Amino acid sequence: MSSVTVAAGPAAGLLSRSRIGSAGRRVLSRVLAAVLVLFASATVTFFALHLTPGDPVRAVLGGPTANPSPATIAATIAEFGLDQPPHVQYGLYMSRLASGNLGMSFSQRQPVIDVIAAQVGPTLQLMASAIVVAWVLALASVMATTRRHPLLQGLGSALETISAALPQFWLALVLLAIFAFGLRWFPPQGNQGALSLVLPTLALALPLAGFLAQVTRESLELALDQPFILSARTRGLSEGAVRWRHALRHAVLPGISLSAWAVGSLIGNAVLVEVIFSRQGLGRVLYQAVTRQDMPLTIGVTLLVTLVYILASAAADLLFVLVDPRLKAHRS
Amino acid sequence: MTSLNRRRRPARATTLLASVGLASLATTILPAFGADEPVKGGTLIYATDREPTCLDPHVDGDMPQVFIAQQYTDSLVSQDKDGKIGPWLAKSWTVSDDGKTYTFKLRDDVKFTNGEKFNAAALKANLDHIKNPATQSSTAGGYIQQYVKTETPDEFTAVVTLSKPYAAFLEVLAQGFLGIEAPSALARPRNENCETPVGTGPFKIIKWDRQSQIVLERNPDYNSAPPTAAHQGPAYLDQIIWKFIPEPSVRFASLASGDVDVIETVPPESEADAEKNPDLTLIIADRPGNPTNGAINTTRAPFDDIRVREAFVRSADISSALDSVFFGRYKRAPGPLSAATPFATPDFKNLYDYDPDRANALLDEAGWTEKDANGIRQKDGKPLTVHVPIGDFQGPAERSLWEQIQATAIGTGFDVQLEPLGFSEWLDRQATWNYDIIPEYWNTNTADVLRIVLSSEFLGAAGSGGYHQNASGFKNAEFDALVNKALETQDPEARRKLYYDAQKIVASNFLQVLTFPQSTRLGVYKTAKGVRLEPSLSVTTLYDAWVQK
Repeated sequence: MSSVTVAAGPAAGLLSRSRIGSAGRRVLSRVLAAVLVLFASATVTFFALHLTPGDPVRAVLGGPTANPSPATIAATIAEFGLDQPPHVQYGLYMSRLASGNLGMSFSQRQPVIDVIAAQVGPTLQLMASAIVVAWVLALASVMATTRRHPLLQGLGSALETISAALPQFWLALVLLAIFAFGLRWFPPQGNQGALSLVLPTLALALPLAGFLAQVTRESLELALDQPFILSARTRGLSEGAVRWRHALRHAVLPGISLSAWAVGSLIGNAVLVEVIFSRQGLGRVLYQAVTRQDMPLTIGVTLLVTLVYILASAAADLLFVLVDPRLKAHRS
Repeated sequence: MTSLNRRRRPARATTLLASVGLASLATTILPAFGADEPVKGGTLIYATDREPTCLDPHVDGDMPQVFIAQQYTDSLVSQDKDGKIGPWLAKSWTVSDDGKTYTFKLRDDVKFTNGEKFNAAALKANLDHIKNPATQSSTAGGYIQQYVKTETPDEFTAVVTLSKPYAAFLEVLAQGFLGIEAPSALARPRNENCETPVGTGPFKIIKWDRQSQIVLERNPDYNSAPPTAAHQGPAYLDQIIWKFIPEPSVRFASLASGDVDVIETVPPESEADAEKNPDLTLIIADRPGNPTNGAINTTRAPFDDIRVREAFVRSADISSALDSVFFGRYKRAPGPLSAATPFATPDFKNLYDYDPDRANALLDEAGWTEKDANGIRQKDGKPLTVHVPIGDFQGPAERSLWEQIQATAIGTGFDVQLEPLGFSEWLDRQATWNYDIIPEYWNTNTADVLRIVLSSEFLGAAGSGGYHQNASGFKNAEFDALVNKALETQDPEARRKLYYDAQKIVASNFLQVLTFPQSTRLGVYKTAKGVRLEPSLSVTTLYDAWVQK
């Protein structure tokens, strides 16, 4: 949580020289940690791919119904650098990576950076809209039903449990059947225009909303039992003000942590949703890269996912402080 | 075996009066629709399940590549539905007596869509490109491993030299995998040519948005249609949008709603719906080559014993399995060559018939006489287990099919172990011969496929890294001699005889559990007309197509 103070600092007022220094150190250590995590994820992915049985050359040269000449096989092995022992390949790959070169995809036959550039937009768009919609739905359910009429409370709680348990691919097919094929409100495929984002977003957001609502409901209940809520009520604050201004601040913290984790898991779930809705995106790219043992592309996408996850954690920490002023006070 | 399933006629009128009324109505309306005259202009939206990884069909060489190549390239020669080779970019040719030199007279009036001229040097550039190891060509390159060089005595004469006689040469040249591309385009780095290849064909590639679509536009100067086409001159369509919709139900729903005009790979569960829907037409054709099958590994026990192989083939009720998995839409393959392949014969089909009594007798004879509590046969204390690796890329239908085969084979005492695997793990099992049966197929337009999938030449050459196309491990000198001799003669009757004998040997050695022929299955919405499958590989061609919207 070291970057937190840096970002929140200016809002807090004047900064002393020593505070800038300690803030700088925190940023530095956080950046170093991020680089270390990226390095580790590239290394683990590299050796994991090497340990899987199979041969990327066979996969790229057409698999079972192909007849490449021995000369073609040899040329391909040499082109991919697979004639070197694994530790030499690793050294070569890492030194190129250090200079910012992600290499050439084996299976897509274009630079990894181009593959990612073409597909990253739709995936980030889908992830962002899924997170936002999940939070809106979760808050709506929690704020409207927690500690209300027992029937209402039971209904909200049940809906949350059910949606948390929905498998994304099944949900995607049901949404398609009803809203795309049946009512024809939304296009069944593609990623052109805002309408095409609605169904894939819901397929990802509904289960996530269920999770977020479950943890938020629990902590909202705890918060509503706190003495400060009682004192707010005695000061004559309305129920709405008590809930939204006081209790919610406490209740959203676990959900924020969960969101950072959700960003990582959304990429995995995006594979199926992208295939079902014929959307462009990194999920499909990653799936194909792994099945073809396309080392440069797999590592490239993995690094990007790791980076997004690191940024999401940083953003979560930042939000923590914005939401909970006690943390800020504690730091200074 | 091309079957064109037209949409069902409207319900027959029950009274005479109604029929008369309908008939007179039809005569008055028909002229207004202008019958079926092709209309120039418009965009056709085509949706397929799989995206190519490169648009140049020389590189790698997977089926999605040849489908797109068929729209923007021409081939050197054409092949009609009877397997006969005709002219295309080559006007005529002669073959030397030793079968090793082919002299092609080329058309002198054809240009690539980048303005470059098609000539003998262009043909040389293409054959050299396919053969070049750096191209990473595994289909086209595999088919012309005999290619040595091309000489160009004059601008429109090409003399091609092969290392040995290869009567299938003209046949493979007719495949879209060996489509002719512009030499200056081929000279670019591989990744550039994969993205924007250039041909002489009726359309040209404009843009490829990966995981979304390819846009093609009409080549307005097109003058080199093959004799198998329905018209000559430029294509009717202004534009083709070639979309990728991997999910079968979404693809079919998009067709039924008219959002797309044509889909490839109609899901089997939707074919009956499509036939009932007056807006839709199905176009279905088998692909030539070695049909989908389970190759039986003859290099290890228990299938090194021909009696056990025959017993397995006889204990698999393929027809019933196909009926239940594909809703009666897929028929059993007639033999080791699909019916669409030149020189295919159905004469040995009965060797593959379901016959559990014979299977039981054979297993008894082979010494698998003990049975355990589950009815699995045993010999010397070892159970009769059959390992079948199935790749996830082979799809759920193939998996269900093998579950059905498993269920009938247990009746005669086979313990069939289906092993679902990821792509690379499956490839690894194939490369190391670690299977008893492995599902496979081979699409090609020549009976020479028998040599590729069953002759000893393809058991894995030195330096091939485990690649073997002959997955049954069959090694038979008589068979090898037949399929090699068939390459030494251009005489169709002599080839027919040799391939007939070769098919007899394959069938009577029980090397493959034959399931269904590979096929192309298009669904066409009423707005699209003139959509065809070309005869060499049953690949979609939109050259004769037009839209009426």
